[in-house]
Amino acid sequence: MTRTIDRRTFLKAAAATGIVVACGDQGAPAGGGGTAKGTISGTVTVSYADEAGLKPKYVQLAADGLRAKYSGVDVKIDHQKIGSGDFYTKLLLALNAGDVPDVIHVGGDKIGELADAGHIEPLDGYLKQWEDWSKVYPDAVKSGVTYQGKVWAIPYGLDTRFLFYRKDVLDKAGVGATWTGPKNVDDILEVAKAVKSKVAGVIPYALYAGPAGDSGTANHAFIPLLWAYGGDLQKDGKWIGDSPALRKVLDYYGRTYRQDLSPKEILTTAKPWTAMREKLGLKGELALLFEGAWNYGGWVTKDKAATERNVGYALFPTATGGPSFTIGGPGTAWYVTAKSKNKDAAWEFVKAFNTKEIVAKLNIEDPHPVARTDSAEVAEFKADKYLVDSTESLKKARFAPPDANFGKVIGVIQKATARVATGEMSADDAAKRYTDELRQAVGADKVITQ
Amino acid sequence: MTAVGPQAAVQVDIPPPIRPRERGTPLEWALMHLAFVAIAAFFLAPFVWLFAAAFDAEATAYIRVPGRLTLDNFTYIFRELAFAKALANSAIVAGATTLLVVLTVTVAGYGLSRLELRRKGWITFAVLLLQTMPLSATMVPIYGLARLLGLRNSYLGLILIHAAIELPFLVWLMKGFFDSVPRQLEEAAWLDGRSKLRALFEIVLPVARPGIAVAAGLSFISAWAEVLMVIILVDKQDMKTVPLAFYETFRTAGGYVEVQYGLVAAMGVLYLLPVMAVFFATRRLMVRGLVSGTKGL
Amino acid sequence: MIPGGGGAAAPARPVPRDALRRQAPYLFGLAPAAILLAAFFVGPALWAAYASLTNTALVGIDAARPRFVGLANYERLLGDPDFANVIRNSVVFVVGSAVIGQFVLGLSLALLIDHAERRGYRLATLAYAAVLLAWVNPTVIAGFLWVAMFDFYNGSLNTGLALAGAGPVDWLGQFPMLSVVIANTWRGAAFTMLIFLGALKTIPSDIYEAARVDGANAWRRFWDHTLPSLRPIGALALLSITMSTFGTFILIQTLTNGGPGTQTEVIALYAFHEAFRSYAIGYGSAIAVVMLLINFAFAIVYLRWSRARA
Repeated sequence: MTRTIDRRTFLKAAAATGIVVACGDQGAPAGGGGTAKGTISGTVTVSYADEAGLKPKYVQLAADGLRAKYSGVDVKIDHQKIGSGDFYTKLLLALNAGDVPDVIHVGGDKIGELADAGHIEPLDGYLKQWEDWSKVYPDAVKSGVTYQGKVWAIPYGLDTRFLFYRKDVLDKAGVGATWTGPKNVDDILEVAKAVKSKVAGVIPYALYAGPAGDSGTANHAFIPLLWAYGGDLQKDGKWIGDSPALRKVLDYYGRTYRQDLSPKEILTTAKPWTAMREKLGLKGELALLFEGAWNYGGWVTKDKAATERNVGYALFPTATGGPSFTIGGPGTAWYVTAKSKNKDAAWEFVKAFNTKEIVAKLNIEDPHPVARTDSAEVAEFKADKYLVDSTESLKKARFAPPDANFGKVIGVIQKATARVATGEMSADDAAKRYTDELRQAVGADKVITQ
Repeated sequence: MTAVGPQAAVQVDIPPPIRPRERGTPLEWALMHLAFVAIAAFFLAPFVWLFAAAFDAEATAYIRVPGRLTLDNFTYIFRELAFAKALANSAIVAGATTLLVVLTVTVAGYGLSRLELRRKGWITFAVLLLQTMPLSATMVPIYGLARLLGLRNSYLGLILIHAAIELPFLVWLMKGFFDSVPRQLEEAAWLDGRSKLRALFEIVLPVARPGIAVAAGLSFISAWAEVLMVIILVDKQDMKTVPLAFYETFRTAGGYVEVQYGLVAAMGVLYLLPVMAVFFATRRLMVRGLVSGTKGL
Repeated sequence: MIPGGGGAAAPARPVPRDALRRQAPYLFGLAPAAILLAAFFVGPALWAAYASLTNTALVGIDAARPRFVGLANYERLLGDPDFANVIRNSVVFVVGSAVIGQFVLGLSLALLIDHAERRGYRLATLAYAAVLLAWVNPTVIAGFLWVAMFDFYNGSLNTGLALAGAGPVDWLGQFPMLSVVIANTWRGAAFTMLIFLGALKTIPSDIYEAARVDGANAWRRFWDHTLPSLRPIGALALLSITMSTFGTFILIQTLTNGGPGTQTEVIALYAFHEAFRSYAIGYGSAIAVVMLLINFAFAIVYLRWSRARA
């Protein structure tokens, strides 16, 4: 019933604006199989959120490109101006109720849970007929979007992270303006202490903890530390609970917060990363921050010269050595929904977006390493030092496991870090609780301890 | 603001007892005036930020003396953020909701009051308890239901659901008001040959007017403030109400590096004024309603 | 007067056929409200009750294939150490902001303003309007306003303290429960104030005259006469603000989002987080059902108490 209303209203609007819409058959064969071009028609609904404000014009470009290629297709763009967290919640509510857009745009880390829920469509059938996939997408990128042997989403801007620091603040703290990175993990705290004692009005270090930090608590704080201390999230497909590395990480959190090196606001503010990145990049009120590499773009847009002068970036150190690795991710990606009524056309849209030009241009504005190797060869891309460095950093990046339960594990990580950061529990007690909660979240049979 | 409210019985209005005005001691005068200043300060202090930031060219989330006064925040939200539409939507939804609620709870309260049923007390009690159902449990089924009935992204949907939220408490309130209107009044009217409906309109309702005013006032305030249901029901830009506009501005304006608090504050000021005006205009009736509502005890 | 008791006397005999016809208009009157309530309250409540017996989720394998798990969610809830903490926080929050805060403050305000009216002090109107403004403004705004007050670096409160020469207080970080209690008290005091103002006006003044003639001073008059007269309505007000405060969460979510850690995680917020952060609908529904039961218990206690007094 809703469908008919949509079409009627839509036709009226179409007549008014002159868009040609074919009243063609909207059925599509069951997913995965590519079909002849002639049957690409109907309406494709594209649903996405975008906080940075950079994507709409590219989504529009892709839509225009698709319409130009197939005159029988129309694209309805549902751009929701809410945060990506809220967007995901609403999307899940919609998918569960049966309101299914054809194309969705969410983080690549959601592949596991969305696939398990039956919300998304595997793309292997389509990929066989898309030569770009085999030509310009490296294996590492492909494995980032593979789950249970199938590919579920197309990434375009990959995630990498840097340890950002304010050169001017570190200079005042006596660390020196030519600092290129901490000697080891504890050195970060040493530098933070220097900032705290010598530079007034500047937050030394932002170490995300608790649920307020969202996935940042895991990706931008906990997990790199865990790897730095030689631990890991999984071994042989099982999640690791209590381990020596875990205890060291929780102890690190305890030390950081007990010495007031990281602000307590992180635990209570909504979206603390907004304030933190503003403070580091724009205001110089934060000295050290491990965050997504893309933030640099926002700072550059505001004040290129100042950013290049004041903001430095490095890889993350290990427990014993200097900057050597980072954490990567598939970034936000494009999916086709499983219950879409127009999967072929949906796939065509995804292809229309993921062209060499769009991928390159978007990631120049919103700096991410690109998923396509040919986009990286675009002149403007190669000319930007930061982009080149970001892409390089991916070679040293480790990735979190693409597991459907990763979301639940993030919740457990948030609780554990909050407990030590607030001083509610000691690192050892928190580690024990971590194991219990991990067992509760993913099933006791999937958890081991070291 | 789904406050579960005061009680049932109310008497027909008796004029309040006349109290002699006594003079107080100077100390009493001083202490009480000090108290009033302190109270006013405590309750008004948080609003200072709102009004300061709305006119501030470089507003922050925190209070500061505006460096540069400007009306730009206001013009921006109207020009770029379609705030006029959001305000209009809020007004339409809140107004229609109030109308629907008043109509519904009046007849429901009357019906419940006059109904002869052995376990009526339990029903009344259950109705009240409904209000305590937390939203998180009902978001998923309401989303599904709204979608099924085609209520999403529509005025009808917003109105129906905004109305439903206030029903439990207000039905209970109106029942209380009608309980205090003695049946003799209607019975006399019936004996006079009037139909039940006419009796209701001509005799009972005027007496219950304060209660209706309370119901109208509270439902407007509540509908104006409702945010969670709007998030569930609306994703189209032109259907959004002010709380949703708030969310969007707070979360996304200016790119993800900076939140523009001046815009948020400007929206807040314009959002606050109508509900203040409505409350101010109806306060006499409303307070009288709440006052009469408690007299019966 | 107790709520839930029929107001006008309701006969308890069984209803004969034409009495049913007599009742019909009343039933019709109830119909629109009943339909809306059934659709948007009863229906979802039943759904939630059922969902609490499953492990349904919004995403992940439990979304595709939810299983009936009986009382497993409830067992998990009762065994969760976090839940004990959540209950404790809820009790503290309700006692602090409803009982001590809104109730006591509302009563005091009502007494003050009532007294001021008798004395003819007009400044009382300013205080009265201020209290009402705090109540009437939309919740999202209230949240913003108090974040601006409590912020550590530049918040209004700390700025004021700095002007007075005192150091900044980490309101939300170090005293989160106190902060949300203050904010919620600010928000809801008007309600009890209005109720008590109304009640005070109904106390006949001859009681006071008689007491004064008897030589009782102001304090005695208050304690022996005013308070007892206010008790019934006070009990009612207490019940209603208890139930409503128990379900408050937007304000807390805006100020601390349950943090730091879980120090201000009250049960309404906990249910919300489980349902919409962890997407565990089954578990979140179980928490909601528990909330409903607790409210039910409150109401029963109140009814017993008020019936005992009647």
